[in-house]
Amino acid sequence: MSSTRLLFVLSLCTQTGSFAFAADPMDHFESKVRPVLVKSCQKCHGPEKQRGGLRLDTKAAWQAGGDTGPALVPGKPDESLIIKAIRNPDPKLRMPPNEKLADHEIAALVEWVKDGAVDPRVGVAQIGGMSLDAAKQWWSFQPVKRPVVPEVRNSQTQPRNPIDNFVLAKLSDKGLSLTPPADKRTLLRRVTYDLTGLPPSPADLDAFLNDTSPEAFAKVVDRLLASPQYGERWGRHWLDLVRYADTAGENSDHPLPHAWRYRNWVIEAFNRDLPYDQFLRDQIAGDILWARAEGERRKDEKPRTTILGFDASFMQPPSSFDQRVATGYLAIARRFGHDTDKDMHLTFEDTIDTVGKTLLGLSIGCARCHDHKYDAITAKDYYALYGIFESTRFAFPGCEAKQQPRDLVKLQPLRPELAYAVVEGTAKNAKLQLRGDPEKPGAEVPRRWLEVLGGQTVPANSGSGRLELAGWLTSNANPLTPRVMVNRIWQHHFGKGLVQSPNDFGARGMAPTHPELLDWLSAEFVASGWRIRHFHKLIVLSAAYQQGSESRAEAVKVDVNNNLYWRFDRRRLSGEEIRDSLLAVSGQLDRTPGHEHPFPPEKSWGFTQHAPFNTVYETDRRSVYVISIRNRRHPFLGLFDGADPNATTPQRQVTTVPTQALYFLNDPFFHKQAEKLSASVFAKPEATRLDELFRITLLRPPTAKDRTTADAFLTSYAAQLSEPVADRPKIAWAALTRVLLASNEFLYLD
Amino acid sequence: MRNPLNLSRRGFVQSAVAGSMLMPGILSELLAADSADPLAPRASHFPGKAKAVIFLFMSGGVSHVDSFDPKPKLTTDHGKQVTFDHPETKNRPGYEKLFLKKPNWKFAPRGKSGTEISDLFPKLAEQADEIALIRSMHTSHSNHYNATLGMHTGSFTVARPSIGSWMSYGLGTENRNLPSFLVLSPQMPYAGTQVWASDFLPGAHQGTRVVPGAEPVANLKRRVPTEKRQELELNALKAFNEGHLATRTDESQLAARIKSFETAAGMQSEMPAALDLSKESDDTLGLYGLKRGQADGFGWQCLVARRLVERGVRFVELIHTGSSNNWDSHGNMADHGRLAKEVDQPIAGLLQDLKRQKLFDDVLVVWTTEFGRTPFNNTADNPGREHHNWAFSSWLAGAGVKRGIVHGSTDEHGMKPVEKPVHVHDFHATILHLMGLNHEKLTYRHAGRDYRLTDVEGVLVKEVLS
Repeated sequence: MSSTRLLFVLSLCTQTGSFAFAADPMDHFESKVRPVLVKSCQKCHGPEKQRGGLRLDTKAAWQAGGDTGPALVPGKPDESLIIKAIRNPDPKLRMPPNEKLADHEIAALVEWVKDGAVDPRVGVAQIGGMSLDAAKQWWSFQPVKRPVVPEVRNSQTQPRNPIDNFVLAKLSDKGLSLTPPADKRTLLRRVTYDLTGLPPSPADLDAFLNDTSPEAFAKVVDRLLASPQYGERWGRHWLDLVRYADTAGENSDHPLPHAWRYRNWVIEAFNRDLPYDQFLRDQIAGDILWARAEGERRKDEKPRTTILGFDASFMQPPSSFDQRVATGYLAIARRFGHDTDKDMHLTFEDTIDTVGKTLLGLSIGCARCHDHKYDAITAKDYYALYGIFESTRFAFPGCEAKQQPRDLVKLQPLRPELAYAVVEGTAKNAKLQLRGDPEKPGAEVPRRWLEVLGGQTVPANSGSGRLELAGWLTSNANPLTPRVMVNRIWQHHFGKGLVQSPNDFGARGMAPTHPELLDWLSAEFVASGWRIRHFHKLIVLSAAYQQGSESRAEAVKVDVNNNLYWRFDRRRLSGEEIRDSLLAVSGQLDRTPGHEHPFPPEKSWGFTQHAPFNTVYETDRRSVYVISIRNRRHPFLGLFDGADPNATTPQRQVTTVPTQALYFLNDPFFHKQAEKLSASVFAKPEATRLDELFRITLLRPPTAKDRTTADAFLTSYAAQLSEPVADRPKIAWAALTRVLLASNEFLYLD
Repeated sequence: MRNPLNLSRRGFVQSAVAGSMLMPGILSELLAADSADPLAPRASHFPGKAKAVIFLFMSGGVSHVDSFDPKPKLTTDHGKQVTFDHPETKNRPGYEKLFLKKPNWKFAPRGKSGTEISDLFPKLAEQADEIALIRSMHTSHSNHYNATLGMHTGSFTVARPSIGSWMSYGLGTENRNLPSFLVLSPQMPYAGTQVWASDFLPGAHQGTRVVPGAEPVANLKRRVPTEKRQELELNALKAFNEGHLATRTDESQLAARIKSFETAAGMQSEMPAALDLSKESDDTLGLYGLKRGQADGFGWQCLVARRLVERGVRFVELIHTGSSNNWDSHGNMADHGRLAKEVDQPIAGLLQDLKRQKLFDDVLVVWTTEFGRTPFNNTADNPGREHHNWAFSSWLAGAGVKRGIVHGSTDEHGMKPVEKPVHVHDFHATILHLMGLNHEKLTYRHAGRDYRLTDVEGVLVKEVLS
């Protein structure tokens, strides 16, 4: 953060007027004017509310004025809006509403303005909702400093890497320790779901149990990180954040037949371990970066594909990993209304909102109508970024008024593949929109970076400013980007972030539970070249990650929410994990990557708000490839707390409701998966069936008690059946399979 | 005072347990408030008059000047040219000139109150003395999608929690064998499932859709052929789950999931029971215009709604009809007549039945639509009317509501409210108030901000409160 920039702001904000007054006007203000302002004006024009954008509690505030300009002209009461308002004979227009000031009060205010409106109330220099001092000191704006790794004394656990040093240091301060390590089966289930979203197979478990070398767990981690399922799991986390959907979200919810390329690009980026800073730059400005790189390629490289000696690479299918596709992040912003071109201000708000929350942990979207109430973000910041996106041409998805899509990006000149992406538009600054209303334009705002992070402007003739934005977001001077991301990686391993409000690192968010650890991780992240995979390994190889999940009464007394990580938090599988696990254990999971959805051809489109697009396409592929419809949530993912496709979802809720239980009792998909699994189990010799069923579903042999329960169930269940005697055991086994697939042990990870 | 809802809730919980071997222990769990349970009954901000809401939503935009807002001047000024900067006609080819257009239905004073209601709703008109009619409603958008979203969530653009979800969040529910918020919607409405979504509120508060037919609620129908088989499965599941829980102390989530299966089993029997109209008398069926055995139509929706609130459901919404084939009579206002026939008798019957069942003092009935229809068109002979968000009519009836009054008014042609305008936010504030909730205090912290159903707006309409 640039401190000179902050000082500059400070000096601007503290400049005051230079009227010369005798003591009398000051007394007049204090005795006659200030009480009236406090009593009758500041309730609506003060720190709580700013009706009409106006505050009357500091001199600087009334000088800046509200939506209709400065509140008063010193020396000229008849030209001053405030005086006109209190004198207005029309009770509907008069201020204050529902109350007429007493004549002597009006006279006092008129005299005050006439005498030059002396006002000693110097405001505190502000950026949005924070004083400049508070913003300078706000924890998340501080530069990332790599702290010294604390030494650990008096701990029963030996730290395995610096993460443990930080965690153990805090624990021992409170007289706590880690829970003893989880057993191998528990650990394998935990890490396999965490890294791939799928259950380990019995063969995976056998290999892990048989490997007694000290590197056995690290080998498992490497295997999982190298599997394509890793990108599907971690790509899904990212798709939650960027509110990925396969429809546009406007009134008729038009399909986005090409958005899947962005979805697959995200998955592939994780599988390729694309450095996070590059990952972000591509999503913000991939088209510009691609064009530059293309220029270089043409200069330096020989064409890879030639026909009769001519460059024929333009005839090749496009790479699945094209930087231009990455800007789908911006293009998938939600559309609004009947004719979406008319409501693009809302689409830009949606874009700014996810850029702010997702990449920076800041709710910049809040500053659309007014300066942020709590954070160091101004409406000017909002419109500075708005100008950047308004200077960008977003792909147009089609809407009720204009059915056919346009402005899609052609990836190869002679081929049909299109990307739902963005390109550069006409570069121009935006105007402030008063109260967020595009019909009420205010002053023009230069395109620039957030003031609190430096406020650099987009140079003239450099396009929309997205390339610069990509640079500012990933610059070493911006401490938020690495902090926010390492916190997310931590969160998806431990169930909660070190900052437990992962999308809000501002005043309304939560302070980090381990600030030094967060900074150490952030520094390590950047130093390692923004490598996410390196980070997973660091985390899962720590003792903190590998501890057991048992609760201990003495630890609960000290830290009931486990904010210090004295145990591993048990968690329920996510909706995707539940569905994918059912398909995996039944042997029905199609592990090939999904591509486009079978949408009807564009020429046939005639979607309206009366008859919007809302077809759910079924698939046996992983849930990340299931269609996501904005205006009609997928029934399964809606039921099991899936991501909201309309807004960034930083953390899944976990609700437990009876309608979920009904799913496990009666859903045809669930019954089908159970039947497939039970058929394969039933094919085994009777003596090994129960072991087989437990191995596949729970990855352990049945206990003696499990056997008793299962045997009793099979016997009494078969006795209830009216089907032919020969079929009864098979039906009973299918029922037992359903029971295990509905069990808490299957659904929860220790 | 007698409180039929609370009594019936206890009664139903007990009856759901009686005769069932499935649920030992469920009684105490259900009757004890469980603070970890998002649906546990919660104290209101102050004693509310209403315990439950039946929200009747007429989709497509009901013409106020043909139903509840008499405008004799519209008849005398029929054909007169007018100029308005109207969102639906501005810059619209063919709409350069606008002409006033008389109503299709005659108005008359009704009941002791003399409230004027048109012949569009003859049966409902007989209930004029029971309702508080608001003629000065207005809303912020003239598109179905946005106005429908606004009427349900207070937000006209992005998705926010539905009013039923807010109610469920604020008050919990009285009967854990049924969801807190049910939506009887044979068709999908404008804006889709966002109409009953809980959005950022916990998922337990989302509306559960009920459709007429063989499986009114998804997965409600037992798939295994006999009750006994399911009971064996549930018992085995419980045994495995309890074995799993035994070695894991301090785990309310695991226990909550075990409980959820007991509740689901309860729901499996109680929901079909609530939907089973076979024990209703011919007299009652007749009130709703239902034939014996009929299990669809708005009469079915209304009678089921009564049976649901009777069983402790907090918020029941009935949508007529959906995003198509609805009140959106651009082409011909005569279509309003057909639609009114579908709802008139059922709604009148619902009000009468609630009174008969002594539920009228506990249940708030809300009747509304997303906007009104234009008192003009591009020719006076145009048989249809366009969307009109500047003014429309809605009414409240039942618990805590004045009877036989009219609140607010529009100008001589029904263009805009002139007296006591009531915006959707004000309407919401009033509905929450009747349930004992202060709309400024019913907040949820999301993404660093406290959100409300009424955003930063909303003024209670005190004049309609009894």
